Parts: sequence; C-alpha cells; structure tokens
Amino acid sequence: MKQPVKVLVLTGYGLNCDIETAHACELAGARAERVHINDVISGAADLFDYQMLVFIGGFSWGDDHGAGVIQAVRMKKHAGERIARFVEKGNLVLGICNGFQTIVNMGLLPGFDSDYQTRAAALTYNDCGNFRDDWVHLSIDSESPCVFTRGMTHLELPIRHGEGKLVAAGETLSRLKQDRQVVCRYAASDGSAANGRFPENPNGSMDDIAGICDPTGRIFGLMPHPEAFTHPTNHPEWSRRKEDLPPAAGLQIFKNAVVYMSR
Amino acid sequence: MPHRLEIALKPDLLDAEGRQVQKKAAAYFNMDIASVRCVHILTIDKDLTDSQQRVIRDDIFTNPVTQVSGYAPLDIDFDWCIWVGYRPGVKDNPGETAVEAIEDVIGERFVPGESVYTSRRYCILSDSMGIEDARMIADQLLSNDIIQQVRVFSAAEWDRQTGIGIIIPRVKLDHVPTVTTIPIDDDETVQKISDARNLALNENDIPVIRAYFSDPDVVAERAKAGLSDPTDVEIEYISQARSDHCNHNTFRGRFLYRDRSTGKVEEIDNLFKTFIEAPTLALQQKKDWVVSVLWDNAGVGRFDENHYYVITGETHNSPSNMEAYGGAITGIVGVYRDPLGTGKGSKLVMGSYGYCVGEKNYAGELKPRLHPRRLLDGVIEGVRDGGNKSGIPTPYGQVIFHPGYMGKCLVFVTALGIMPSLVNGEPAEQKTTSPGDLIVMCGGRVGKDGIHGVTASSESFSEHTPAGHVQIGDPYTQKKMHDFLLEARDEGLIQYVTDNGGGGLSSSVGETARFSGGCHVRLEKVPLKYEGLDQWEIWVSESQERMTVAVHPDNEQRFMALSRKHAVESTVIGTYTDSGKLHITYEEKPCAFVNMDFLTRGFPQWVFEAEWTDPDDRGLFEPVVSEPSDYGALLCDMISRPNICSREWIARQYDHEVQGGSVIKPLVGRNRDVNSDASVIRPVLTSERGLVFAQAAIPFYSSIDAWHMTACTIDEAVRRLLAVGGDFDHIGGVDNFCWPNIQYDPAGNPDGKFKAAQLVRSCRAMAELCSQWEIPLLSGKDSMYVDGHLPGPYGEYRKVSALETLQFSVTGVLEDIKKCVTMDVKAPGDLVYILGETKNERGASEYYDRFGYTGRNVPQVDAQAFFTRYKAVTRAVKEALAASIHGIYRGGLGVHLALCAIGGDLGIFLDLSRVPAAEKWSNDALLFSESAGRFIVTVRPENKDAFEAIFSGLPCACAGRVTEEKILDISGVNRAPLCSVRIDDLRYAWKKPFGDLL
Repeated sequence: MKQPVKVLVLTGYGLNCDIETAHACELAGARAERVHINDVISGAADLFDYQMLVFIGGFSWGDDHGAGVIQAVRMKKHAGERIARFVEKGNLVLGICNGFQTIVNMGLLPGFDSDYQTRAAALTYNDCGNFRDDWVHLSIDSESPCVFTRGMTHLELPIRHGEGKLVAAGETLSRLKQDRQVVCRYAASDGSAANGRFPENPNGSMDDIAGICDPTGRIFGLMPHPEAFTHPTNHPEWSRRKEDLPPAAGLQIFKNAVVYMSR
Repeated sequence: MPHRLEIALKPDLLDAEGRQVQKKAAAYFNMDIASVRCVHILTIDKDLTDSQQRVIRDDIFTNPVTQVSGYAPLDIDFDWCIWVGYRPGVKDNPGETAVEAIEDVIGERFVPGESVYTSRRYCILSDSMGIEDARMIADQLLSNDIIQQVRVFSAAEWDRQTGIGIIIPRVKLDHVPTVTTIPIDDDETVQKISDARNLALNENDIPVIRAYFSDPDVVAERAKAGLSDPTDVEIEYISQARSDHCNHNTFRGRFLYRDRSTGKVEEIDNLFKTFIEAPTLALQQKKDWVVSVLWDNAGVGRFDENHYYVITGETHNSPSNMEAYGGAITGIVGVYRDPLGTGKGSKLVMGSYGYCVGEKNYAGELKPRLHPRRLLDGVIEGVRDGGNKSGIPTPYGQVIFHPGYMGKCLVFVTALGIMPSLVNGEPAEQKTTSPGDLIVMCGGRVGKDGIHGVTASSESFSEHTPAGHVQIGDPYTQKKMHDFLLEARDEGLIQYVTDNGGGGLSSSVGETARFSGGCHVRLEKVPLKYEGLDQWEIWVSESQERMTVAVHPDNEQRFMALSRKHAVESTVIGTYTDSGKLHITYEEKPCAFVNMDFLTRGFPQWVFEAEWTDPDDRGLFEPVVSEPSDYGALLCDMISRPNICSREWIARQYDHEVQGGSVIKPLVGRNRDVNSDASVIRPVLTSERGLVFAQAAIPFYSSIDAWHMTACTIDEAVRRLLAVGGDFDHIGGVDNFCWPNIQYDPAGNPDGKFKAAQLVRSCRAMAELCSQWEIPLLSGKDSMYVDGHLPGPYGEYRKVSALETLQFSVTGVLEDIKKCVTMDVKAPGDLVYILGETKNERGASEYYDRFGYTGRNVPQVDAQAFFTRYKAVTRAVKEALAASIHGIYRGGLGVHLALCAIGGDLGIFLDLSRVPAAEKWSNDALLFSESAGRFIVTVRPENKDAFEAIFSGLPCACAGRVTEEKILDISGVNRAPLCSVRIDDLRYAWKKPFGDLL
C-alpha cells in the first residue's frame, strides 16, 4: 500500500493555526504532525521523514520586531541548512500568513536563481493602520509554476493580519511577474484587479500581491488562510446559499500539494 | 556600555502608524499635522562587540527592503519629536522577545541586570503646532504617565549626536527582603496597620484575627514553628482571602430589604446561595449536560460524548480605567487562564468583549483621567492584541455609551474552552491535590505587579521605582504556557491546575492546599523579575501569565522536560501536605504558619440595608410627546445613534476566525456588514456540532427598575441565541454584575440603600427567570464599586456612579451547524412575520432617550408566555422553516427591520396594523417600543402553512414581505403610507458615525 504524504506543521512560540492546518492536510489525504519548532531544531523530529513543511499562521515571538522576523532568524540559524536540502530534494514548503512573513524573511522566497538566503521582499504594516479580518477574492495565475494552485483561477479566503502589505524593489517586482511567481492577487468579486482599492486589496500590497512562489513552484507563501476554509460553513455567505453550499475551496491548495507529492 | 538602536521605515514608504497619530490628532484636537514618522528604539543594556552590534542590527532588527536603522540617531526631519518609553518595572514584551532573539543570534546569555528596553519617538512635521500642542499629543494621545515617561524635543533643542540620550528604566530596589511582625495588642493598632499598609481589612474581621493569634493553643503551635505575633505575610494572606474580590462578601452578605411602597420587610441571607447556587444546583439535577458548576475557575457543560465545553466571564474595570490598553489586555489574557485552569485544563476556543464607557465625544466640564474616546481606543486595542496574539477568535461583543461610565468604565471579557471528557482515562473535570504532590509555578516571573490592585498611590513614583499596580498582559508568554500545559495534561502529568490571578500565589496555593489539607511553600524558590521583593510581596504579587500546578513527584522530570521544550519557565516552589497548616518559609526561616481552616470559620457576614421605592413613588411618568410626522428622518437618526450604529471597525480588528471553526461571524449579510444576533463556532473540527454564544446588557432600564433590566437582559441574550438556531432546551448562563457601591453612608453614599435594593431585585429576577427557563448559571462574577470621583472646573470632585449593570452571556450546543440561520433577509417575496406582542413599553428606551426622557413603562418579561414561544422558535429552526430570524432589541421594531433589510440588501414592506399588539396605540409606539420577547422572521412562501402551524395560537402575524426594490416601506396603523426610506440611506446612516475608523 502506498504511504500517505507526511506533512510537518510547525508549532510553538506563539504560532496558533496548528490544529486547523493539520486538519486541512488530513482532509486532503495527508498525514499531518504538529511538531514544536524546538523539536525540529534539536532533531528530535527528522525533517526528512516528511514531504511537506508548513510554516503556519500566528504571532511568532509576539511579532514584536516585525512579523515573522525572529522565527526566521531562529529557523535560518538552526535549521536553515536542513530546510535548503529539504527543498533541494523536491519537497514542498508552504507559508501561510505569519509563515509567509517568516519564509520571506528567511529568503526562501522569492528564491531567484536558487538563492534561498536573500531577503528581497518584505511584508509590512497594512496601509489601513489596523489588523484586519475580512474575506477577500483572489485571482490566481494559472500559468504560475506554483504546484499548490494548479488548475485554480479564483478563490475566496479570509485574511487576518496587521502586516500583509508586500513591498519589493521595482526590479524584484518585474522579475516576480515575468517569472509568473506572483501566484495570487487581491481582486474584486468579479475577478478583475483590485488595483490597490481598499478593502478589495486589504493592506495596500504592491500590485495587489497576496502570494508568491519560488521559481520551482514548490515553495509557496500567501497572506490569506486556506486552512480557514475547509468547511462550507466557513464561508461568510453560506447561510444565504443553503441549497447550493459553497465548496470548501481552501482545501484545494492542500489537495494539490498531496497530489503533487504522491505523483 | 548600553547601545541604542533606532529603526524606521524607509522614507518613501507610507508610515501607517504615523498616519494613525496624524488622524487622531486631527479628529480629537483639531490639529493640522503634515506628517508623523515613527522611530522604534531598542536600548540594549549589555556590552556588545562591534561585530555583535552589526549582526544584531542586520540579521534581526532591520529589514533591508523596508527599513533603515542605526546606533546613532536617525536623521529624520521634524518640528517636534516626542519620545515615549516605559517606566521602570512596566512589562516590556517587545524588550523580552528582543532579548531572546539577541541571545540566540550572538550565542550569549544576558546576565541579571542586563536587558533590552523598547521605546518610540515620533517625528512630527507641522507648521502650526506649539509646545502646548506637542505636550497635548504626548500626554493625551501617545502616553499614559502611569506606565510611561515622555520627553518632548523641539527641532532647535535636538542634538543630532546624542538624540534622546540613553535612558535605562531598570528597577533598582536595594532592599533586603524582610518579614515584619504585626502587633495585635488591640483592634485600633491593627486597624492603623491595615490603613498604613493598604490592607483594607474589614473592621469586623479584626477581632476574629486577633482572637485566633491570641488563642493559647495557636500561640503554642506557632512558638514551636518559630513564630509569635502574626507576620506581614500572614496578615496579607488573610487580607487577600477576605477581600470582596476573592471572598465575594457582598454577594454572601445579609440583606435587610424593605419595600417603602408596600411596607413589606424581609431578610435575604446570602444572595449567592439564595439566587445563584440554589437554583443552579436544582437545575443540575434536571439537566444531564451540566457537568461541573460553582466550584472551579469556570463552569463545564457537555459538548458531545467525548468533549466538554467550559465558560466563564470576568471584568477588568478599575485597571482599564487607569490604563486602558494595559488593563484590557491584562483582562482578556487573564480570563483565558480560567478555562485553562478548569478541570485538568481546557483549550481556549473563543472570547468575547463588552465595553461600557462615557460618551465618545464628551465635551463637558468634568475631567476623567482618560477621555472616554481615548479610553475606548485603548481598551479596543488591548483586547485586540490579547485575543489575536493568543490565537483565540473574538467573534462577539458590544459597546455601550452612557455618562454613568465616566466615573469608571466597564470591560467585560468572556472565555470559552473545550476539553476532552477523559484525560488519560480519568474524568477531565475532576482534580485534586494530594500530600506529597509538588507545587509548581509555571509561566511568568514575579515582580511588584498588581500588589494591592490599583489602590497603590501614584505619588510614590521615582526614577527607579516600579510602576507595579498597572500591568500589561503578555499573550505570547501565555500562549506558550497554554500549549505546554495542554500537552502535559494529555500525558496525564497534571493532578491539579489553577491560575494565578487576584491574590497571586496567596490565593492559588491557599485554595489548592485545602484539598490535600496543607502545604509547605519555600518562597526563595519563586523566580523573580528583580531582586529586593519582601516575602509578603512575593506571596501576594499578581504578576500575570502564571499557573499553579500540582505535579506528582514521579512526573516531575517529564513535566519539566516538556516545559523546557515549550520554552516555559516552571519551578517547584513547595509541596502539598496534610499538616492542616499553610506553612511558608524563606531560606528555612518561618514566614507563615496558619491553620488551613482558619479562613472558613468565624468571620462575620457583611450586612446591608436595602430600601426599595417603586417607580411611581419615585415620581417617574410617561412623557407627553405627540406622534412625529417625519418617520424617514427619525429612522435614519435612530439607526445612527451611538448605542445602535455600526461598530464594524472593532469587529474587523479582531481575528474572529482563527482555529478554523467559524460558522456564524460577527458581521453577516450580503455585504457582510450587519451584526449577527449571536456567534457560532465549530470547536471540534471533525464534528458537525456547534457552540453558540451570545450576550446582552441593557443597563438603561435600571433607571426605572433593575428587576426588569435583569429580566430583559437575560431575555435578549436568550433570543439572540435562539435567533441563530440555538436550542431552548440547552442554555447555560454566565452572570456578570457590575454595580455601584451599595453600602449606605449618609455623606458618601446617600443612595446606597436604593442601590442595594436594586441588587436584591436583580438577583431575584435572575433566579426566577433562570429557574423557569431552566438556565443553570455555569459561571459568574461581580464587581461592586463602579463609582468615580471626577474633578470639575472649580477644584471640586463629583461622584459619578454607573447604572446598575448586568452582562448576561449564554451558550449552548447545536447538533447540526447547517441548521443555523442568519438575520439578513434572503429573497424577494419572502414573507415577513412579527413574532411576539408589541406593548407600549418605551420606558428608558432609545426613542425616549433621543428626546431626553426616561419615562415609566419599562419593558417586562412574561416568562411563561415567552417559554411557549421560544420552544416554537426552536422547532421552526429544526424544521428549517425560517429563512432569517432576528430579535427586536434596543431601538425597537423600526430599527431592527431596517437592519434585516440592510443585511439582505433588499427592501421590506411592513403593515404596522398587522403587527401583533394588544392595542394599536400609535405608530411611534409600535416602531420604537422595546418590548421583550419579539422576533422578525422571514419565511419562504412555500413554507407559510408549516410555519404558521407551529405558531398557531401564539402572537405571530405575517405583516409584510421582502421586496426587490431596496426600500423600507412602512404603512401605519391606519394602513396609510407612513414612510418610505431607501435602504442605502439607512445603511449610510448606520455606518456613518464610526465609519472613518475602519
């Protein structure tokens, strides 16, 4: 019998989406384990027993010095080399919200020219000046190499962050676009570009960017929370559509990952 | 040598934090500011090499894409620079995480005395601002002198080399810990010491204390233990345990109640036992889902075969009133420790909030410490950070504005948790301590925080004395502890767990040691934030984020290993015994030796005189107002009133869907912008069951009669729960009483007897209604001194007392979340039913308040009639016959019809002549009466017969329909058109007051 895909979901130090992220992975057919950051660092858990590593949402180290900053420093110093080999071996890395902020700070993204060290993008304070919880529409670049979004064109998900505005230098942005590394953008409900308009673009992110991947498409980071849409009743309008319940569309991201790793 | 690192956003990036300051300065003080740039400062009090400095700056604290930084002051242009930093001893959460990060990166530990202090400076560009304006922004927007220090620099004063200088707010006590003996020669001596030490001992308790310590047997035992007269540790312990906060002396008091209107006199011995405990215990016999009530940190109900839910509610009023952000974050993080400390521990799954403050735009002559708008800003942010950073959704809450809360604000925080019904094969809700178990303190360290609550004087500040009495909660430390304790629980390592809240170790160890029958605590083991605390301070400090755990010695090693893995500090501070004694030592020297049962015997009950005068005898009457003619304008005005209008800006700042189980969110409808009646979560992700939660507070009715305030509040909470699909057969209640002082004093509290009578009536109304509706009170708390003395323009102080306030929360279990209903109307053509009778009950209503009246006819609850009606509502939901359900609450039918239409982004036609009512008084009575027990329900035409069959014989009528055209179209009692208002206009009016805060 074929072994299920194994997913390592990081926990500890103020991270907080571990249970629902593991649940989403399980619903997608994977076997998920919640592992404390210190068990990864100490080697008590062997990263190479897994095929996917998820950096999850939360407030690592309280996010007091920039979201995801200290987690990135910690992981890079103590497990950076292992994570690089993990990626090299063809495994997957997903960063959601605080996890996205972390892997951007680690330099795993954008990962131009196999450089997984350089911080070339940043996620900074929302233009609105507040933490914000709201649902957004995402338009997905179906031509992106991202393996997590294959076959997807549009998705609704919740955002819940205070620092989600993606900022990068002009040449970095151009390269991201040119290489189709911009996986998803904030959009209006009809799928057209948000063009920076609030609240469709909830944080003022450059070019409406909500998520990016590395050139291989196996490292993916996004601000919205796919693990928070794994049941039809998560959708804010489900009670208006009881006859035709919305599918739990966030799950597709995890299913795609499982399909890719089971190939 | 200390190093000061300054970090700012690159100049071409928008500074969102600065822009908020700019916006508030404009809105609050009408100041014209061109720009504000924030500089984050880390003052690292540690010797560092050049390369260490570089690594710290580049690898941790500077984002190369967005930030600039330097150890010299950053060159940012300003007209005024305002620096804000903490006072010594105030919890600096970012400073602590900076230490963790630096230690990790440079591979070197900070030694005691070394630290990192964070602060900020704001660079303000403005042509028009003078020094007075800069001071005003510093003091009234950016800082609070209780916890922070401020410096203001003009451009001319600024030294580009030294900048703000090096400011190190380190605590230096230079004090040798000392146990002091308290002489007990006579009552007067003890009273004097109580006053001098701020112990607040009740004068009737003093003879009991003296008698105990003079008892020859006690004297002999104590002599053997090396003690004579009581020590300050012992007296502080007794004072904490006997405080109203810990012992609930008011609720356990004896009330002599006299009804002046009827002459009837009666005595109520113990409000808690009579009106809370007795009815709840009776209901526990009837309701098998009630698992554990009235003894633990929170109440426990059954969620499903394998899980229990846990609920409790708290207030954190006085601290929030002094320092809004710190008080509120400490409040929410604190209440989250209650479910964590219930049974063997439960996981937190939801929180809610309730804020009562003065009028947001108050422009009168009284000067509260914090203006209501500033207080509200701080409280909102405190709960936001406390909830969001804990990873717990905050999907529900309310805000109430009333001048009575200017004296003291109210901050309600409620917490729900979930636990497996069995832990390691044992019932999860049960726990005990046994002789030999280790007393372990987990989490934060102990400082002078919260000693004697907020009564400590602010005059004692000096440069290096800790500002101990106001705290700042630390959700990060607590989240780590939460994850650790749940893992330890699941491994069966926890015998008992409870939180350290009011009274600190004194309460938590004192109470848990009652199970084993004694304890021996070694105070020198308790980890401290800084040296120099006296023994009694260690014992009663309320430093946050701490739990006390009983661990079997065999499990010590494993427990400590898990604690290290989670980066949580845990320390064995003593042992539970069966000696019958609370025994405390410090480096082997005795500090306390008191009989465990001393606190449970012999203390006199508090006594209150309560005098009731009914509203007629108090001269209340209905105002004389003719029917208005412009209902369109009136409706728009009503819906934009501060106590009704949209609070979207708060709901959106709170993460309300973390944990992935969100079912009914705080904002619902087509545009997701109207408040839902209640919230529903799915706390067990593999289950289709839900947990429904709602709360209500309608303090306004107390100005007529707290009895009806109470009944209507409970009724509203229940209707909210029913409206989303809650089951009337399974409702657990939580009561949070916030009352002004009820102890009569002819000069200081001349209406104390009336307020006491209001409390008796409120408790009795709650007991009667909860018994009839079979709502056990799973948990509750009281906060009894909601009064303030505010300075006026002539140097006088005026007492301002809050309305007698009850916040009532309800929860229940839903078998199938897909049966949930939301309040927004769904489709054109759906029929609009009004359920429940509208009576002429506008007393203390929003409508009368619009005209400055109180009135007389307060809404009343008919428990029996509503019982039948609510059962029918539950049935209609179970049979999926309702397309939308919404309760009619504050503001009345007109306001709530409008909200249903806004939610659905459709129109409604309503014929007032068909609304169930005993009499058709007038259109304004029907539209703005706040009669209890009513709902607006929409029904698809094909469900008409089935729906009406359920409600046959009940006051229920089809009075209108949902329309495609987005208009609220109402015809009057005479069937003539009354008003026709565009839904867009209503929405605009509803959102306008606070819309720009989003």
